[in-house]
Amino acid sequence: MSFAPKTQAFNAKINAVTLGTGDKAVVLGGQNVLPFYTFDAAIENAPKIGVEITDTAKEWTAPGLTEFYAGCETMADFAKKAETMEGADFLVLHFESADPNGANRSVEDCVADAKAVAEAVTMPIAIMGCKNVEKDSELFAKISEALQGKNIVVLSAREENYKTVGASAALAYGQKVGAETADDINLAKQLNIMMKGVGVAADSIVMNIGTAAVGYGYEYVASTLDRVRAAALAQSDADLQMPIIAPVSADTWGVKESVATEEDAPEWGNQEERAIGMEISTAAANLTGGADAVIMRHPAAIATIKKFITELV
Amino acid sequence: MALKGLDIFKLSPKKNCKECGSPTCMAFCMKVAQGAVELSKCPYFSEDAIATLSEATAPLMKTIEFGNGLKLGGETVLFRHEKTLVNETRFAVSIDTKMDAATVDAKLADMAKVDYERIGERMYVEAILVSNRGTDAAAYTTLVEKAAATGRALVLECWDVECAKAALEVCKAGKPILDGATPENWEAMNQVATAAGVTLGVWANNISDLYDTVKNLEAKGNKNLVLDVTAATAKETLANAVNVRRTALKDGDRSFGYPSIVNLTRFAKNNEHLQTAYATMFIEKYGSIVVMDQMSYAQALPLYGLRQNIFTDPQKPMKVEAKIYPINGADENAPCCLTVDFALTYFLVSGELERSNAPVNLLITDASGMSVLTAWAAGKFSSSTVKKFFDENDIENKIKNRTLIIPGKVAVMKGEIQEKLPNWHVVVGPLEAVQLPKYIKDKEYAGAVEAAKAEAAARAAAATPAEEVKELSFEELLETKVPKIEVVDMGVKYKGHNPEAKTFVTIGERIHCISPAIRKAMDERDPAPILKRAAEQIAAGATYLDVNIGPAEKDGPERMMWAVKLLQENFNNVPLALDTANKKAIEAGIKVYNRSNGKPIVNSADAGSRISYIDLAAANDAICIALCSADGIAKDNEERMKHCHNMLERGLSLGMTSDDLWFDPLFLVVKGMQDKQMDVLNAIKLFADEGLKSTGGLSNNSNGAPKNVRPIMDSALVAMAMMQGLTSAIVNPCDLRLMETIKSCDIFKDHVLYSDSYLDL
Repeated sequence: MSFAPKTQAFNAKINAVTLGTGDKAVVLGGQNVLPFYTFDAAIENAPKIGVEITDTAKEWTAPGLTEFYAGCETMADFAKKAETMEGADFLVLHFESADPNGANRSVEDCVADAKAVAEAVTMPIAIMGCKNVEKDSELFAKISEALQGKNIVVLSAREENYKTVGASAALAYGQKVGAETADDINLAKQLNIMMKGVGVAADSIVMNIGTAAVGYGYEYVASTLDRVRAAALAQSDADLQMPIIAPVSADTWGVKESVATEEDAPEWGNQEERAIGMEISTAAANLTGGADAVIMRHPAAIATIKKFITELV
Repeated sequence: MALKGLDIFKLSPKKNCKECGSPTCMAFCMKVAQGAVELSKCPYFSEDAIATLSEATAPLMKTIEFGNGLKLGGETVLFRHEKTLVNETRFAVSIDTKMDAATVDAKLADMAKVDYERIGERMYVEAILVSNRGTDAAAYTTLVEKAAATGRALVLECWDVECAKAALEVCKAGKPILDGATPENWEAMNQVATAAGVTLGVWANNISDLYDTVKNLEAKGNKNLVLDVTAATAKETLANAVNVRRTALKDGDRSFGYPSIVNLTRFAKNNEHLQTAYATMFIEKYGSIVVMDQMSYAQALPLYGLRQNIFTDPQKPMKVEAKIYPINGADENAPCCLTVDFALTYFLVSGELERSNAPVNLLITDASGMSVLTAWAAGKFSSSTVKKFFDENDIENKIKNRTLIIPGKVAVMKGEIQEKLPNWHVVVGPLEAVQLPKYIKDKEYAGAVEAAKAEAAARAAAATPAEEVKELSFEELLETKVPKIEVVDMGVKYKGHNPEAKTFVTIGERIHCISPAIRKAMDERDPAPILKRAAEQIAAGATYLDVNIGPAEKDGPERMMWAVKLLQENFNNVPLALDTANKKAIEAGIKVYNRSNGKPIVNSADAGSRISYIDLAAANDAICIALCSADGIAKDNEERMKHCHNMLERGLSLGMTSDDLWFDPLFLVVKGMQDKQMDVLNAIKLFADEGLKSTGGLSNNSNGAPKNVRPIMDSALVAMAMMQGLTSAIVNPCDLRLMETIKSCDIFKDHVLYSDSYLDL
C-alpha cells in the first residue's frame, strides 16, 4: 500500500496587493494555501522583506549596522544604501521622532525626508508613523500627497483615525493603507469593514494584526495569525483576505535580550548576536504564521530570512 | 492516555440505575475515564460497546516518553487556539563520530552553559543526538558513553544494527530513542529496540516509504515509535512534518500519530542564523524534537521564549513566581512597586520599571495569574492576599525602604493595605504601566510618601492603648453595626416566586460593586441607589436579585446583613443570590434571610479554591451556583463535566439535593472565544441530560459588542441555551428583548400556559 498525502488548497485567496511602481514593484499575497504549504499548492508570491530605516538611525550602535551604513548622513543616504542590502524588497521609513511626546519633529521635516528618499531610490516605500494618532494622520496625509504616484503604503491606520488616513492616503492620493489592530481578530475584521465603508478598495488595504517579540506574549500574535488565515481561506471571509505586514524590528530591538549589554549579562554573550537572534526568530515566526511581509533591520538577519524564504517557497 | 468519559458515556446504558454505586451513568463514566472504577462494575454495558470503546477511544497521536520523563507528542489539535498544544518541542544538539574528541568536549561544555529559568521553567538542551557516521561499534559506544555522562536524554542516530545494539547496552537505562529504522533495516532494528525496551525512530527517503515502514512495524506489534521526518531540504521537511501531523489529527490515521524528529543539521549545517529561523518554524509546525549543531544564548533566548509562548494553554493564564524582583540593581533601600503575577502584567511593568533606570523592588503577589482588576474583583488581589504575601516572603525584614506603590487601578485598596501593613507608606501609583518610568525617575511618589508618613505619625500620636478587639457574633453585629431599615414605597411590589415552578429563573445582576454608584452606596450604607436598581429589576420581572457587596474583607457580615434586610424588607422578601468572596458575609446574610419566596443562593463555588462554598451552602440549606472550572476556564467539556461531578458528589455527600446545585458552564465572550460557544451550549445539554439545573452569566457572551447588538446576541443565546436545557441565568432584567425572549421560550417549553397577554404577565 502506498501513501499519498491529501492536499488542502482553498478556493479563497489572499488579495494580491502591489507596492511601488516599475521593475522594483512588489506584490504581497495572492496565495490560496497556508504559509509555505507548497505541497498543497504553489505559493503565488514569495513573502517580502522591508528594510527599516528610522529617522534616528544615526544613533544605532550595533556594529553590523554602523558598518553597513558607514558614511550615511541623511535618511536618503541610508535608504540608498539599504537598497543594496541582500534580501531587501522594499524600504520602510520609520518616523519615530515625530512623536509629540518625544522629539516632536515637524511634519514638514518628515515630508522633506520622504521626498528626498523617493527621489534617490527605486524600491517601493512604506511609511511607519510614531504611533500618535493625530500626528500620524497628518504625517500620512502629507507624505501621501508628496509621494503621489509612487504607490507607497502608510503603516498604519487604527480604529481612532482610519477615516482620515483612509480618506487622504488611499482616496485622495491613491496610496495603500495598513490597518492596525492589536491581537484582536474581531476588531481586525471590523476595521477592514470600516475602511471599505469609507471607500478604500479591498486591494488597497494591508493588515498589521498585532506584533510582539518572541517570548513576549507572542502566543497572542501566533493564534491571531492562525485564526486570521483560517477565516480568510477556510471560511472565505473577504474582510480578512488582506495581506499582512509584520513590523518585526520595532519590537525586537527594544527587548531586554537585544538591549542588555555584555556587562549587564555576561553569560548571555555577544549583544549583537542576541539582537540578530531575536530579529530572525520573530520574523520567522511571523512568516510561518502568515505574514506576507516582515519589516527588519539588521543585514545579517535580513540575509538569513531571505534565504529562509527562498528555500521554502 | 485515559479514555474520554464522554465517549464512554455515549455507549453507556444511560439507565441511571445507581447499581454501580454512582449517582448517574455520566458520573460513572467519568470515574471510569479517570481510572477510579472498572468498567465491569456496570452490569449493563454490552460486549459490543466494550469492544468499540478500546478501539474508538485510543488517542489519535501517541504520547512517547524518553530520557528522564520527557514527553513527546500526544497532541489533539493542529492549532493552539483550537484547544491547546500539550507537549512542547524538545531541543537536542548533535555530535557525531567524525568529530575529534576535543570538538565533542567543547560542544558538550558549550551546551551545558545554556541553563536558566524563565517564568518557572528550566531552559536547557534536553537531549543529545549522537550520530554514527560509519565507525565501528566500539568507537560509537565510546561517544555514546560520553554523551550519556552528561545526564541529558539521548537520541542515537544509527542505521547500523550491530552498532546500535552495542550502544544500547551502555545507555538503555537512560531511555534513549534509537533513531535507526529504515525501509531496509526495520526488522532487525525493531528487534534491537524492542529487546532494549526503547523507542524506535523511523526514517525513510520519502513519506510514502515512511508510512509503509511504520505499517510494517505496527504489524509486528511495535507502536513505541517516533518519526524522523527530516528530508534533504527544509521545504521537503516542512511538507513531511505537516503531512504527518495532518494525516493523524485531521484524517484520523493513527499510523502517522507519532511524535517527530526534525534534524536541522542535515539541511542547514553550520549555519547558526538559519538554524534559528528553521527551529522557530518547527516549534510552530510540529517538530517534537528539533536537532541543532549547538545552542548558544543568541539562539536559546528567542527559541525558548517562543516555545514557552506557543505551548501555553490558551485557556490558562501564564503566571510568574510570586516574589521580590529587584530591578536596576535594587537593594533593600529601594522603594517597592506591587502588582499581580499575570505574566503579561509582569513583563509590561518590569520593562517599564527598567526604563526608569532607577532601582526598584518589584513585588509580585500570587493572584492566580489574573490581571490587576480581574484579580481584585475575584478577591485574589486584596489587602489580605498582600498581607499574606508580605508575611510568607518576610518582606518586612528583607526590605528596609518603606515606600509601597500600588497600581492606580486599585486605589480603593490603599486604606485596607495601609491598615494591614501599618509600618509601610502606601502610595497609589499611576493607572498605566507606560507612566511608570517618569513616575519612578522623577520620584513623583515622594509627596504621597510624605503625606503617608504624616498620617502614620498622627495615628501614632492619637493612638490610645489598644482595646481588646472581640469578634462579635452575628446577633451582636446585627444589634450594633447594622442600621435600621426604613421601608420606602418604591411603587413596585415583588410578585412572589414558587420554587417548585419550572419557569426560567432570572437572577438580576445590577446590584454589583463593580458599579461605582453601588460601591459607594454599600460603603456609606446609603439605601437609595440600591433600592432604585432593585425596583427597576423587580419591575422588569427578575425572579431573584444578585447582591454583590465586593470583596468586603473588613465589614462583610454587617454589610451583607444590611443589604439582605434592606432588599427583603422593602420588596416582599424578594429571593436573593449572595455574591462575595467573603464567606462569613454570606453566612451572616443567610442568618437574616427570609425564605418565603425561595432559598438563598450562594454565588458561587467552583471546583478549585472555592469548592468550600458548597459546604457553606450545604450547612445553611442554600442553593449553590457551581462554576465548572478550577484554575481558569475548562478546556473542554470533558473537563467541565469532571468539575461538575466533583462538585455534585461533594454536595450530595453533605446532604444537599442535586436541585440545589446550579451548574454554571461559564459563558464565554464571543469576541475572543467564538469557537468555544458551542462547547458551552453542549455542556448545558450534558447537565440537563443528567437532570441537573444550570445557570450562568449569560450576557458575558456579548461583552465588548455595541450596545444595540448586545440584546440581540443575548436573546439568541438564551433561546439556544434554553433549548439545551438551561434553567436559569444571571442577566440584566432591564433588557426587554431578552426578557421577552425568555418568556416566549417558557411558552414553547410548555412551562407557562399561553395567553395573548403572556408577555405582560
